[in-house]
Amino acid sequence: MDFAVLERSVAVVGGVLVAFVSAYALYKDWKTPGLDNQVFKVMLFLLAVGAVLATLAGLGVLGNFPKAA
Amino acid sequence: MPHGAVADPDEGQVDQLYAETRQLRLQGFLLFLVSDVVLFSSFIFAYLYLRNTLPAWPPPGINRLDVGFAAFNSVVLFGSGVTMHYALESWKHGKFARYANFLIATIVLGAAFLAGQGYEYTNLYMREHVSWSGSGAFGASFFTLTGMHGFHVFVGVCYLTVLLLQSCAGVYTKEKYFGLTAGTLYWHFVDVIWVVLFSIFYLI
Repeated sequence: MDFAVLERSVAVVGGVLVAFVSAYALYKDWKTPGLDNQVFKVMLFLLAVGAVLATLAGLGVLGNFPKAA
Repeated sequence: MPHGAVADPDEGQVDQLYAETRQLRLQGFLLFLVSDVVLFSSFIFAYLYLRNTLPAWPPPGINRLDVGFAAFNSVVLFGSGVTMHYALESWKHGKFARYANFLIATIVLGAAFLAGQGYEYTNLYMREHVSWSGSGAFGASFFTLTGMHGFHVFVGVCYLTVLLLQSCAGVYTKEKYFGLTAGTLYWHFVDVIWVVLFSIFYLI
């Protein structure tokens, strides 16, 4: 298998997994009190967002396109 | 208290002191993270400014960055954020073996991310001839920002290794584990910064 296809496949599968697990952890911790837990919730949300972005990049939906000259 | 152990008369006082100082230490650590956000923000805005002043990005002669590999490496780092979260959760629930496994997984994934970054740097330098000083605004901004982030990941890997050794040595208890909370906050911070860097360098 082509290495590029393999790394994209791992990015997609891993990204979905990480997004799901971080969203689930956020859901479970939703009602926990305390300053540190509030920060953790924000960070878990951003982690899930990052995993979704990586998944979309792996799928080729997002990517850096050259700015028109 | 275990059977036969002698009661420490100062224990209550120590607990009270810990509870009082924990909040202060947490606020201090969060302020440190905020100062790091300011540092990264200034470099990110400088990068965005430079990018918008040039008519084409990447500049002529430089190929687009490899999005596929970056996505793979990002998932490695984001995965380490999840394992770190569960390491702390396991510690809170008194599951030491589970905690140690998750923390070791975090350290390994962090080191793997650094190895991936090293591979990407080597590829850029050897094949694309992109360097920090010889590729104008593109090379300077890319290597400065990702290098600064990589240094933070390296410090985080060292930090988590120290935390693992400390927890094995019995420095932390189920009730007193601020060091582990701070370590988790730092690692999540490093992950979140990468979400931004990944977006601005590879996705837009």
